[in-house]
Amino acid sequence: MELKPIIEVKDLHFSYKKSQVLCGVDLRLFKGEVVSLLGPNGCGKSTLIKLILKLLHGNGEILLHEKSIEEYSHKEIASHIAYIPQYHHVPFGYSALEMVLMGRVSKLGIFASPSSHDHFIALEALKKVGILDLKDRIFGQLSGGQKQLVLFARAIAQGVDTFIMDEPVNGLDYGNQMRLLEFIYKLSHEGYTFLKTTHYPDHALLISSRTVVMNGGKIISDGQPGEVITVPMIQDVYGVNAEIITHDTHKRCMPIFR
Amino acid sequence: MAMLHFLFDRTKQKRYLVVGTVILTAIAALSLLLGQYPIDFHTFIAYLNYKIYGIADIEIDTLALMDNIILEIRLPRILLAILVGAALATSGAVFQAMFVNPLVSPGILGVLAGASFGAACGMLISEQWYIVQALAFSFGFIAVGFAVLVGSIGTNSRSTVMLVLGGVISSSLFTSLLSIIKYAADPYSSLPAIVYWLMGSLSMAKLDEVLIVAIPILISIFGMIFMGKYFDLLSLGDEEAKSLGINVKLIRIVAIILATLASSLSVVMAGIIGWVGLIIPHIIRLAIGPSHRLLVPLSAIVGGAFLLLADAVSRLALSVEIPIGILTSLIGIPVFIMVLKNARAAWN
Repeated sequence: MELKPIIEVKDLHFSYKKSQVLCGVDLRLFKGEVVSLLGPNGCGKSTLIKLILKLLHGNGEILLHEKSIEEYSHKEIASHIAYIPQYHHVPFGYSALEMVLMGRVSKLGIFASPSSHDHFIALEALKKVGILDLKDRIFGQLSGGQKQLVLFARAIAQGVDTFIMDEPVNGLDYGNQMRLLEFIYKLSHEGYTFLKTTHYPDHALLISSRTVVMNGGKIISDGQPGEVITVPMIQDVYGVNAEIITHDTHKRCMPIFR
Repeated sequence: MAMLHFLFDRTKQKRYLVVGTVILTAIAALSLLLGQYPIDFHTFIAYLNYKIYGIADIEIDTLALMDNIILEIRLPRILLAILVGAALATSGAVFQAMFVNPLVSPGILGVLAGASFGAACGMLISEQWYIVQALAFSFGFIAVGFAVLVGSIGTNSRSTVMLVLGGVISSSLFTSLLSIIKYAADPYSSLPAIVYWLMGSLSMAKLDEVLIVAIPILISIFGMIFMGKYFDLLSLGDEEAKSLGINVKLIRIVAIILATLASSLSVVMAGIIGWVGLIIPHIIRLAIGPSHRLLVPLSAIVGGAFLLLADAVSRLALSVEIPIGILTSLIGIPVFIMVLKNARAAWN
């Protein structure tokens, strides 16, 4: 039996103000995968993510569980996929727990408030990402890493097993970056599925099961991170001279300055 | 601020609402008894006994007097003060959430000016209350639309300052249009009526009129209260709100209609009463935090209590009655300046 993809993108085109952002993108995401979308600024990574979440509309086909995304409401999409945006400014001083509870809203009836069960789920999610002690702190006053973890907890509280993340480690210090990646890695072994954009080839090598490289609105390669992330690719896409070094079975990308 | 920002559990939430309602009821009961003709507690109980159980332990003269004071004068005024205060404060909280902008209110967005222009038009062309109300709502809605349009000129992102400026422009547009109406109005009959009404007054209310307008106002207020959990999401921005599974467009339209309806009807009944819609949500946000599930219902309760108190002051403090709109501005300005000092903590 052939495995069916959770998300399937076929020949997707998108243009913004006359400039072509995506031209013919194909992508499939299977259960349990960690797929890293790699590519330079402006290559269309974030646009692709937004199209999959139906936040933008393009030409082509996007299937979620073999049904066109256009047939889903946002509420239905939210019951399959959780989006973890880059952490950002929030104008009102919500507490971390309130932010996580917002992940439960799409599950509530029109007149319902979050129940004690929803509170329980939100607290469990905070516990799972290891920041239960921050629950009453104001979101805007947390550090970048803590904010990212709150948004992660919110996605878990949403009760889905597919996460789409936009530059999850952006703006975090090295320690928080590594902890977040390790956390993603751990969750992927519990059956969660990830599609994330990243600026770091090393991060793709470190935790992804598949790496997709985009450049100029196209996917230029798609496969095992070790096979996709090569010296010519780094040179091509980023204009950087690098060596790929191997330690045991792990590969790392090392830039070379001249 | 962290001290005030209580742990968010549901029993505490309910406690706030219960305490708020009790305080509001107490203020309402007190205002029913106090005034130029104070009513003592025993007479009031005897009156209630007669009205509810038919126990005739009260003189017929006193009864007529009580009927007059309570039913004709104080009760409609009290109900109207609560309704208008609740409508303005709730709409303020909702507009602030809708535009992700803590500086907007029905007054600042031009809704009050638009609605007063519509209502004045209505008063000139018709005596039918529903025409006045419909015109007030329509122009209130047009005014907020105009403010948003002006505020989005030249930017595709949402800008706090631009929207406030858009509101200022929309407000002055409709204030000017209103001046034309005043200029055209009969200086001996309709002009003084319009001017006095615009200054904000709760004294012209009749009980049956108040009860009629109470229905749409209450529907709007309860609608907005039930939408509280969606406002939390909307304040994160449209994309994130959509990804969390809500229908952003529908919620935004419904919320703006409800907030405009409530604040426009408050204008029809009581003229322009400024500042309530801006300061009440701010004070609540500072005191208990920004979650709209609690902010919106508490705004209704505190807004009602605030206007009721302001009205009591305007009736009791001086022998001459000050129009309530003037009083709320006089109270609102220093309160808002104090709030601004602490505002960063509440916004960030």
